[in-house]
Amino acid sequence: MNFETKWATPFKAKRHQILWKRFKKQIVLQLFVGMGMVFLLIFSFTPMFGVVMAFKDYSIVTGIKGIFTSDWVGLKYFDEFVNDYRFGQIVRNTLILSFLKVIFAFPAPILFAILLNEVRHMAFKRFVQTVSYLPHFISWVVVVGIAFSFLSADIGIINKLMVKIGLIDMPMDILTNANYFWGLAVGSAVWKEMGWWTIIFLAAIAGINPALYEAAEIDGAGRLARIRHVTFPGIKGTIVVVLILTIGSILGGGLVGSNFEQAYLLGNDVNNPTSEIVQTYAFKVGLADGRFSYAAAIDLIQSIISVLLIFSSNYIAKRVSGSSLF
Amino acid sequence: MLTTQKQKDMLLDSVIYVLLFCIMIATLYPFYYVLVISFNQGKDSLLGDIYLWPRSFTLENYATFLTDSNWYNSLFVTVARTGAGTLLGVLFTSLVAYGLSHKDLLFSKVYFAVIIFAMYFSGGLIPYYVVLRSLGLLNTFGVYVIPSMLSTFFLLIAISFFREIPIELKESAYIDGANEFVIFFKIILPVSTPLLATMSLFLGVGQWNSWLDSAYFVQSDSLRTLTFRMMEIINKSNIPIESVGAAASASGVTNYSLQVTSMVVSIAPIVCVYPFLQKYFVKGIMLGSVKG
Repeated sequence: MNFETKWATPFKAKRHQILWKRFKKQIVLQLFVGMGMVFLLIFSFTPMFGVVMAFKDYSIVTGIKGIFTSDWVGLKYFDEFVNDYRFGQIVRNTLILSFLKVIFAFPAPILFAILLNEVRHMAFKRFVQTVSYLPHFISWVVVVGIAFSFLSADIGIINKLMVKIGLIDMPMDILTNANYFWGLAVGSAVWKEMGWWTIIFLAAIAGINPALYEAAEIDGAGRLARIRHVTFPGIKGTIVVVLILTIGSILGGGLVGSNFEQAYLLGNDVNNPTSEIVQTYAFKVGLADGRFSYAAAIDLIQSIISVLLIFSSNYIAKRVSGSSLF
Repeated sequence: MLTTQKQKDMLLDSVIYVLLFCIMIATLYPFYYVLVISFNQGKDSLLGDIYLWPRSFTLENYATFLTDSNWYNSLFVTVARTGAGTLLGVLFTSLVAYGLSHKDLLFSKVYFAVIIFAMYFSGGLIPYYVVLRSLGLLNTFGVYVIPSMLSTFFLLIAISFFREIPIELKESAYIDGANEFVIFFKIILPVSTPLLATMSLFLGVGQWNSWLDSAYFVQSDSLRTLTFRMMEIINKSNIPIESVGAAASASGVTNYSLQVTSMVVSIAPIVCVYPFLQKYFVKGIMLGSVKG
């Protein structure tokens, strides 16, 4: 014992010295990184700790300190949300919107990629592809503005055209009718993001060995048969990975994201029964009505479900295909 | 009868071309249509029946847009935040990434754990709001550019990019006695243009299109972004018939024609830089999505 401590102390000190020397040598680099860490501490980690306000009676006037000094109320706000008269409707809307987007917005870029791959006119293919990315870079606000120009009952060009040629007698109130909201949200998401996600599937198709196509052709496979037996199996792995990751982010809207932006921008008093989702509700009761603890609790429920979904889908992705996010 | 393989292929080809042509029209026509409406007299547009070109051509929508202090101001705020936000974001993210790209950096395991954790978890909107409030960032221009200074996603991309840079480049500079700042700005950044272009594109487009932060964290009218103001008009415009102000109504400009004009103003810069940056964003999505 004696022997060990006697010898360990100077050795330990020396190790510290060496570390300190190395640290001093890279002090400027450590400073660069340190700034980043301070930034994350302030803008990412403080809000994470702040989540405890969901279990407290927090009042905004007490500032950031109030999060930690206010009284614990346990699950009071979670209880309140579950017993909220709108709870069932809001949860239903969130789930339906999310699942509809996976069902329709997920296959669209795959089909589009397969179509594009069949085009042998390279310039045309490139042009269509370039055009199809464009909506991805446009703000959702502009997309909703476009939807307004085309679909509104007063000035919507589609409504006016259909009335003119006698397809309908009265303009349809697509933007202000609860029955149409889900279709509208899914449709606009496909319009905006289909081309963008095609990039991944086209890259996967480009990775297929051309010899497979030649062999299939020699075997007498027509174009459709080649799509079915070569292209599709060739990108199945990519499809599985992207699908699983989509399910991980399903509550935010999956691949095409932006459930919140859509529900907020396309939602109005009239279609509210179908357009109100958990995120918009948390925003309204939180920042608009000033009920911070309640809104934080609502937010937290969705975050927990999302994190569980991300981890389980990532786990499945790892098992199924060997590739994963982290 | 479709008997031969060749005939079947031709049929398939025509189906494909027709479908793609429809998709292309469905994508492009809405942009073209708002462009047409923005050049058409506002009150006249409300009558409808305009499809391919303006019925009564006018520049007054743009003239009103640029002279209306609210619109003009929001355009200015948007340009300023896009410039400042992109510059700050690209510089700060790549500076931190440069530090982290050194494999012999002490505590780098801890740093990476912190970054990954921050990437996948968040406290949600409400606690974030409280933090911004106590930092005094609410209702300031800073709220647009400071919280977005570090992008964890691009941090990881930049680190792997910097690690590919040959070490000899740096070593010769070390021997010449250059310090890390000089190396970063004079050696690393100039050879990283593909990275910087990709980052600038995505951060810039994000800044340009952003309206959520204006809705959440800003009350002052003078700090509204272009997309926020557009959002306000769209939300109000279930009945878009009334004109803006007395002077405007004399000239036939309507809220709707101004909204469409602002949409064109918002889309135009993106369409303009689009052809040049195409090769970078394709690279960008591949970096981000199919890893490993």
